Amino acid sequence: MNAVRKLTLTGVLTALALALGLLERALPLTAWIPLPGVKLGLSNIVTLFALCVLGTPYAAAILLLRAVLGSVFSGSITSLWYSLAGGALALGAMALGVRSKRLSVYGVSVLGAAAHSVGQIAAAAAVVGSVSILSYLPLLLVVSTATGALVGAAAAGVLGGWNALPKSLTGGVG
Amino acid sequence: MRSVALKPRVWDIAVIAGVLLTALAIALLLLPQKADPVFVQIWQDGALLYELPLDTDTELTVGGKYENTVTIRGGAVCVSHATCPGGDCVRSGSIRDAGRGIVCLPNRLEIRLVGASGVDAVAK
Repeated sequence: MNAVRKLTLTGVLTALALALGLLERALPLTAWIPLPGVKLGLSNIVTLFALCVLGTPYAAAILLLRAVLGSVFSGSITSLWYSLAGGALALGAMALGVRSKRLSVYGVSVLGAAAHSVGQIAAAAAVVGSVSILSYLPLLLVVSTATGALVGAAAAGVLGGWNALPKSLTGGVG
Repeated sequence: MRSVALKPRVWDIAVIAGVLLTALAIALLLLPQKADPVFVQIWQDGALLYELPLDTDTELTVGGKYENTVTIRGGAVCVSHATCPGGDCVRSGSIRDAGRGIVCLPNRLEIRLVGASGVDAVAK
């Protein structure tokens, strides 16, 4: 894939991640599971896709852009730290998961969701200046196995569709 | 494109099991600290009237312009009866977590649950 195609795809994926983030804010999972920080992690579909199709640096760029622009839209600076800490840890874990060659997109996604929970709680503990917030982590981790698997299924669908596209459309990558 | 399998594999189960075990381990490690006592504070007109332990069942009536009956039972507190016009305080139901509260605006009454940690207050 040439540089222009990659740049374009990066822009489209960033917009998509932001849109998914807004969608998620409109349909909060916390309505069913009353735990602070619980969410589906829909924009992780984008991160997974970017990781597999564009590579780690592009996925990191999308993540950074999404976190910064997302906090501009929501007007919350603290949420920027949460999503940056969670997102960076999730990306790192997922990059390693893809590299391991042993996991499918499902396992990679669960790994990312769990790492996101850890990063988020760590950031929250730093912001609040108290480790007692750790008590939320076990339940968040349990929920993240379910949300991670769901997001993994969605990403598997998207990646399968991308692979089925003619090479002339996907720029010969996939 | 980095190749990643699109169908579930055996190692995926290992990842899920690992995450669940980690959650269990952290939960067990934190267990002794979960016994933070929670207190019920009853405020009226900005003044603290009562501070009661949440784990002792009791019932009391707070006067003022109207009357609110506050019931503490089974580690939860609710306004069981009120003579105020709206009745929002009764409809608020029971609360049991530190940081939560029930308000009766007509009677200028506020019930607050406070804990030693204050985590819930910050998380909300």
